[in-house]
Amino acid sequence: MDIIEELDSLQHDVLARIKAAEDTAALEEIRVSVLGKSGTLTAHLRNMGSVPKEQKAEVGRALNEARQAVEEALAGAKDVLSKAELEAAIASDAVDITLPGRHQHIGSRHLINRLIDEISEIFLGLGYSVIEGPEVETDYYNFEALNAPADHPSRSMQDTFYVRDMTGAESAVRGESNLLLRTQTSGVQVHAMEDQPMPIYVIAPGKVYRRDVADASHLPQFHQIEGLVVDKGITFGDLKGTLEYMCKAIFGEDRKTRFRAHYFPFTEPSAEVDVSCGICHGEGCRMCKHTGWLEILGCGMVDPNVLQMSGIDPEVYSGFAFGMGVERIACLKYDVPDLRMLLDGDMRFLEQF
Amino acid sequence: MLLSLDWVSEYVKVPEDTQAFCDRLDLTGTGVEGVETLGDTFDRIYTAKILKKEHHPDSDHMWVCTVDVGEANLGDDGKPEPLQIVCGAQNFNEGDHIVTALVGAVLPGDVKIKKSKLRGVASCGMNCSERELGLGSDHDGIIILPEDAPIGMPYSEYLANTDTVLDLEITPNRPDCLSVTGLAREIGAMYQEPWADPLPQDAAKLEQHISGAPVDQSVTVSIQDADRAARYNARVIENVKVGPSPEWLAKRVAASGARSINNVVDVTNYILFLYGQPLHAFDYNSLVGKDGMANVIVRPAKDGEEFTTLDGQERTLTSDMTVIATPKRAVALAGVMGGLDSEVEDDTTTILLETATFSRAHTSRTSRNLSLISEASLRYERGVDAAPIEEISKAAAALIAEVSGGTVRPGCVDVYLDQPEQHDLTFRISRFNQMMGAEIPESFIKDILERLGCQVEGTDDANVLRVITPTFRPDLEREIDLYEEVLRLWGMDRIASTLPASPDRVGTRSREQDIRRTIDFTLRASGLSETMTYSFADAKDAERIRMEGVLPGEAVELLNPMNADHAIMRRSIFPGLLRSVEHNQAHGVQDIQLYEIGEVFSTSEGREKPKETTKLAAVMVGAMGPVAWNAKRVPFDFFDAKGVCEAIVHELAIPKLHFKPLTEEEAPFLQPGRAAKVYSAGAELGWVGELHPLATAAFDVEGPVAAFELDMKALVKASQLARDYIDVPAFPAVEVDQAFVVDEDVTHERMEQVMTSAGGKLLERVALFDVYRDDERIGAGKKSMAYHLTYRAPERTLTAEEVEKAHNKMLKKVQGATGAEVRG
Repeated sequence: MDIIEELDSLQHDVLARIKAAEDTAALEEIRVSVLGKSGTLTAHLRNMGSVPKEQKAEVGRALNEARQAVEEALAGAKDVLSKAELEAAIASDAVDITLPGRHQHIGSRHLINRLIDEISEIFLGLGYSVIEGPEVETDYYNFEALNAPADHPSRSMQDTFYVRDMTGAESAVRGESNLLLRTQTSGVQVHAMEDQPMPIYVIAPGKVYRRDVADASHLPQFHQIEGLVVDKGITFGDLKGTLEYMCKAIFGEDRKTRFRAHYFPFTEPSAEVDVSCGICHGEGCRMCKHTGWLEILGCGMVDPNVLQMSGIDPEVYSGFAFGMGVERIACLKYDVPDLRMLLDGDMRFLEQF
Repeated sequence: MLLSLDWVSEYVKVPEDTQAFCDRLDLTGTGVEGVETLGDTFDRIYTAKILKKEHHPDSDHMWVCTVDVGEANLGDDGKPEPLQIVCGAQNFNEGDHIVTALVGAVLPGDVKIKKSKLRGVASCGMNCSERELGLGSDHDGIIILPEDAPIGMPYSEYLANTDTVLDLEITPNRPDCLSVTGLAREIGAMYQEPWADPLPQDAAKLEQHISGAPVDQSVTVSIQDADRAARYNARVIENVKVGPSPEWLAKRVAASGARSINNVVDVTNYILFLYGQPLHAFDYNSLVGKDGMANVIVRPAKDGEEFTTLDGQERTLTSDMTVIATPKRAVALAGVMGGLDSEVEDDTTTILLETATFSRAHTSRTSRNLSLISEASLRYERGVDAAPIEEISKAAAALIAEVSGGTVRPGCVDVYLDQPEQHDLTFRISRFNQMMGAEIPESFIKDILERLGCQVEGTDDANVLRVITPTFRPDLEREIDLYEEVLRLWGMDRIASTLPASPDRVGTRSREQDIRRTIDFTLRASGLSETMTYSFADAKDAERIRMEGVLPGEAVELLNPMNADHAIMRRSIFPGLLRSVEHNQAHGVQDIQLYEIGEVFSTSEGREKPKETTKLAAVMVGAMGPVAWNAKRVPFDFFDAKGVCEAIVHELAIPKLHFKPLTEEEAPFLQPGRAAKVYSAGAELGWVGELHPLATAAFDVEGPVAAFELDMKALVKASQLARDYIDVPAFPAVEVDQAFVVDEDVTHERMEQVMTSAGGKLLERVALFDVYRDDERIGAGKKSMAYHLTYRAPERTLTAEEVEKAHNKMLKKVQGATGAEVRG
């Protein structure tokens, strides 16, 4: 048979196969069998050398036409088939989008530290630094340097855990010692005043200890956040403004604060601060013991004795200090029914926050 | 401090609106902890009259009375109907006016009056004695009212007895407020109202009771140490008849929270509450020695001296405590409590009255050492003013004489060694206003300070006041103390709120805090939840968790722990974490991933402050995440804990991480073979492993516990602030997968080392992707380790030949160094 005829028949044949192809895989098979390395059309191309000279031009043209026709047919068929295949694939890929997502398990922050973070952020924003101090303190830093020398009646306000002093030193009162678990973070104030250059704007969150039996509303270990400012020209108004800002930031813009005069050995004048009850809005309810107010912190102007003991001239500098219980704030904000939950490590509790 | 408003109203005007009054007290520094209305307890108690008194048919000592209670009991016809009441008292007659509790009344001590039968006779109420109503100590008979007393009037109305008592929180700096007169002065200052001090009048009453020989003929007083007692005044009252107190006295004492005992003791308590001056009444005869004198000595107790206090407790004293003594024996514990065998008894006729002041510090220590707190010790440890002692002693003696029919011997013995200080202070008005951020006028400042008992004068400088403080305010020592007084009474609510003006402040976190935050974030991202456990521990915890012997130093011991489980400070966080794991498992929670960053404590002989070390401790039990339809649950093991460690190390850019196996001797609390120490370039960071099954069993924890502990300080030290930038590859890599069969004891770390060093510069990365064991196909004691190797040159595309050459060279070295067999 003549080459031209052969090519014609081949082309005809291939186009029919392309038309009959059911999927893109079949098309690919056809492409390889015709145009691949050992494809039928490719074989013809390779044989061009043995085509008599006078036929070369004609055969060449026919070959090109056949190839072009096959390629066009393949492309056309592929367009149609792959579109159909994609549609089929998409249809069969549909999922129940209400099935739960696949996620990494994320851990949670402890409620108390979450609050400490929150309050720290408020004060970082006000230009305060965050500092820390030791949990086992000497009598000096917990009491004496805070203007509560030995036998000062304010000491009986807090029941202290005493720690065995391994130097063998004896205490004036049986069962007491020069070493104790800090009952307040206020000692960090003293460290700050001794160690830091002026002005001082710090807060000191930390664990403190008092001899209370653990029950729904007491823990022998809990957390305080202490704040201290020492600078020139600090006023009682500054103390008020700062704490009012903080209370609003923690509890909400609509909450009021009130300052009640009080006594602390290391501040003078001293005050306790209440925020208006968020449940009854000052009307009086069970939460606020029918007073309309919730006590949240103690504060005052730093006592000149305390400044002096740390080597700061109270005629030049003044300052204020405040301290608040974090567990108390947790109770007020989240209504935690039992403080012991904070130390149980129950995953069902922890993962809520 | 309980304050009767009825009482204090005698000396100062008290606002009628009790709620507003309490708010003002609260805001000015006197906390109101409770408000109680007395007289409420007299509900259903009425004045009455005995109409008929007949013998009880079955009793010799009981009477059947017909009692008229007026309109308090109405019959069916709506008219008053008398009640039948059985009564055991003997002091009444027909026609007497009495006090009757009706059915439904509740008497003090929660005694409920019910309809009852006494030996077969119905009784519809009770005729009351003073003691039954909590009004006095008289229990000899029922109350007999005057003949003109009305019938059927509520008894509290009859008594005009409705009194409101406030429970006040007096701060330790205000000893003066531990008295009714002190509070009267305070209330006067709060409202800028005058108050009347009853002392001059009360003391003047003494004159009418004087008789007998002067006191100093039979009493001596000596104070051995002026530091322990600044002043001691003794007075003698004779011909005393100890008996029940008059009603008004018992009422005042009861309203102040004391039990009415007898007229003499009640007067000492009355004066204590009124003036804040503790008194002690001795039975004079019990003090008199062979010389016929009462020689009172104030001296330090002897170490080990035995003494029985009024409450019947025998106490062992120390030389730090002070006693009141005769030459023979101690008779009172100074400032705290009297002695049992010198107390005033019913047959006492002569009294030695002590009015004294004792050292604050000694009293405070004595009280704490003996765990004995009394109304006296509370006041002495805060400071009792020595100045008015003589006047108060006069007032007290006069009152004892008045209520007991006694006479007071002329004069007193008054040893006054140390006068209380009055401070001469300056008050700089502008500085005060500057510091408060306020404009408080001078007139207010002056007025308030004067009302509080200060003497205030102007000075040459119009801006400065001279203030002389009163002896009863030991807390007013410095200018700032005066500032506080003025501010609190001016009202803190009137000060405008501002923020500090300082421009030169910046808020920062320390590097440690920043790193800790990064660690917290990484741990949470790794699926662990933060927890907190007790800092206290059981001394046996270390042994239980098998850490005994590997924990540094000694335990930090508490001198006064709450209980044995919390006797020491924790030496490791893990016992606490295991308790939390147990808590979770016991509550059906199986997947537990907890961490805590906190202090552990240790000490050693001769050391004062213990060592506090911040540790990061974590446990992983169960499997990651909740059961899910599209995730395979893989139980936690060593590699989960190790993976979290690696994540932290990556986040902190800690270089040269290295894990070294821990033996059972080194870490008995870890399961051998699944325990490693963590290093960064030779510095120890902590450990990772699975807790020893015996350790977890000791805490009733089930299943393997993957855990790690890292030292926070070591992490901070090893962390790198800045990381180096490495060029992102611009040329393609050649990836080769290669498996080796090696002996079991060849570690991955070793393989990685050999490959990395042998692979040269072109070998960019070695990643293990499979470990496979098969006795038959690979051989016993062998394992196949398959690595994915990445070859790359940073500046060009590698040719196949180059890679093949490098790879073959590497294979040869690995074979030589580890005995590995190369699998095709």
